[in-house]
This record gives sequence, structure tokens and C-alpha cells, in this order.
Amino acid sequence: VTVTTRTKRNLTVAKAMAEALAQEMRDDPSVVVLGEDIGPLGGVFGNTRGLFEEFGAERVRDTPISETAFIGAAVGMATSGLRPVVELMFVDFFGVCMDAIYNLAAKNCYFSGGQCPVPLVLMTSVGGGYGDAGQHSQCLYGTFAHLPGMKVVVPSNAYDAKGLLIAAVRDSNPVIFMFHKALQGMGWLGTVKGSIVDVPEEPYTVPIGEAAVVRPGRDLSIVGLGLTVHHALAAADSLAAEGIEAEVVDLRSLVPLDRATLIESVSRTGRLLVVDDDYQSYGVTGEIIATIAEAGLAGLRAAPRRLGYPDIPVPFSPALEHHVLPNAERVAEAARAVVRGD
Amino acid sequence: LTTEVLVPADLSADGAAAVVMWLYDDGDVVGEGSVIAELVVEKVDVDLPAPASGTLRLLVPHEAEVAQGTRIALIEMQ
Repeated sequence: VTVTTRTKRNLTVAKAMAEALAQEMRDDPSVVVLGEDIGPLGGVFGNTRGLFEEFGAERVRDTPISETAFIGAAVGMATSGLRPVVELMFVDFFGVCMDAIYNLAAKNCYFSGGQCPVPLVLMTSVGGGYGDAGQHSQCLYGTFAHLPGMKVVVPSNAYDAKGLLIAAVRDSNPVIFMFHKALQGMGWLGTVKGSIVDVPEEPYTVPIGEAAVVRPGRDLSIVGLGLTVHHALAAADSLAAEGIEAEVVDLRSLVPLDRATLIESVSRTGRLLVVDDDYQSYGVTGEIIATIAEAGLAGLRAAPRRLGYPDIPVPFSPALEHHVLPNAERVAEAARAVVRGD
Repeated sequence: LTTEVLVPADLSADGAAAVVMWLYDDGDVVGEGSVIAELVVEKVDVDLPAPASGTLRLLVPHEAEVAQGTRIALIEMQ
């Protein structure tokens, strides 16, 4: 038996996304990319680096600062034979282009009896923690996942980012690809080390709609997405030192939501903590807890609990912002309370 | 046998750079040509490829400010 050990090929999320796009563009001439500063600059979040040089201005289009115009144009492209990947630089800007997203892209397939699918990928940055205030720091996961007709994915690391982005480009439905700024691998944003992982060079997909158990444990399930997965993993490390074995579930996809994996995990551990950096009310945390409540599990050992972002705008002051954002210490404290049955 | 990883000497006029992030941990095995770090020079990100294959030994932390020509890591070859 010959065992070949492959040298790790660590990439940032930004590099993994750019590689996914380049590979899909080589493979399929109908794939085009458009958005603000995604051309020669390579994207303010680095995820289109190298595309303009390789594919040119026809397929990699810098747009004027009008999301209303260029996201509307992308929906039209997707309805007429292209597979556009369009970037909404900050999800916070969705207000001026939402009609094209939720009334057109999300509904045209349904309205046309399946004759006009909209194979659109909307890439958008989410999250705060770096002092960019209330119009550049939101997550809005629940806002997009609430509306029918779109898939919604949130990668927590470079491997999933590449596989989910390739799956999104190949999907015939609109896919909202929400990447967290703290995981992107851009120096000016700071980067969580755990997001930089080994990524195969060849193209592959991560199926949209499958959560991942990223750390097994028997005492409680901590469910997160994007950045909060890393908070949960760090919390699980400190909890393990106290004898509490936390299982960590990375949602990866909000629509479709992998309810089976959630129910399976909580049916084993009997306890649930959901962590989200989006506004708490009417959002992801409530949907996860409702999923478990509706499953009617006989073996629940504690009331489910959530740690979200309070229902207030994101403050500019770092002291105030970090006071309200979830972090590993707060996840660990909430987990202890669940296990203690407080 | 070790190979030194140096901050390239021709990046900027004033000679200042910073290690934005290491993409590998100390002790990881890296392949020649793989990007092992991102540097920032005059607000521009620069990829730093491994000059050799082997075991990476980091000499400076994340976000360290480094001058051009500085030895910031070693690669121990088999």
C-alpha cells in the first residue's frame, strides 16, 4: 500500500472564492462577474482578484455605484442565458436593489411556470466588529432567508467557501452567498485563523443545504453560522477544560436548512444553544429553536437558549460594538447556563 | 538544511512592510511556491510564496512590522 501525503494548501476565503470563480469561468463561458470595484482592483474583499486579467472587461464588469441598476441588470442577464455572479459590496446596501432581488430574481421562475429560471449568484459581505458602524456591519441573514425563492449560504471557512460558491454558480436558482468580513482574509479587517484551511486545487462542490458537525460532543449542541462557528469552537475548547463536551454545528446553508442534522444533534445531546450575530428577533436563532420545538424531542434536558445580536443598530464606537457582539466568552457563559439548567 | 524566508527587498520606496497574516502554523509542512503569508506594503497586499518545500518555522508573529530584507521565517528541508 502506498500512502501519499499531500502538502496542505491553505487559502483564505478571499482566495478560495476567487479560485472558484476563475475555475467556473474557464469551464462555462456564460459565467460573468459584475459589481463595484470587482475588476482591476480585484474586489474590496479580494474575492475577484485575478479575474479581470484573465477574462477581460467583457466578462468581468466594473459597474457604477448604482445597485439599483447593476443588480437589476444581473437579474436580466440571468433570465436571458447568462450565469451572472454579482457583488453587493455590503449587504447593508440591499435597500436600493431589493425589488430586483426578491420580487424578480426570487419569483420569476415561479411566475413563469419554470420557463424562466434565474441562475444568479449574489455575493455580499456581512458582519461587523471592525468599527464600520450601522450601515456597513449588519448580517441580515434572517432578512434574506425569510423570503422564498432564493437559496442562502454562509461559509465559515475557505474549503466551504470554494465548494459552496461553485455549487451556487452551477445552481439554476438565485443563490445569496453571504461571506463574513472577519473571515475573509483581508488584513485590514482582521482574520479569524480558523477560516484559513486546506483547499484542494481541483474544482469541487459542497452541497447547498447540508450542515456540518464540526466538533462532536455529548453535553449540548451549539449551532452557529459564519463567524459564530469560530466563537462556538473556541468556547467548546474552554468548556472541554471544565468537563463540558459541546458539539458544534455549522449551518453553512440557511435555505435550504438542514433540519435533519439539527434534530439529530439535539436528540443526542438534549441541549441547544444557537449563536448568531444577526439581529435576534424574528431571525435565524428563532427558526432553529422552532425546528427543535416542532420536532417534539422526548429527551430535551434543558430549555433551548439563544445568543444573538440585540435589536439595535450596530454602534460605531468599538467599546459599544464589542459590548453587544457575540464572542467566545459569551458563548461559553451561555453554554454553561444551558448545562446548569439556569 | 534550511532556507531563509526574507521580506523581498524591492517592494517599496521606504522599506516598510508588515506581515498581515501567516497562512500556515509554525511546524506545518509547506510546498515550494505555496503562498505562506500576506504582506502589506504601502496599503497593497503582496503574496509571499514559499521559497522551498519543507517545515515552516515562524520567526515573527502576525501583524509584525518588518523591514525589507528581514528574515521572517525558516524552511527546514529534509
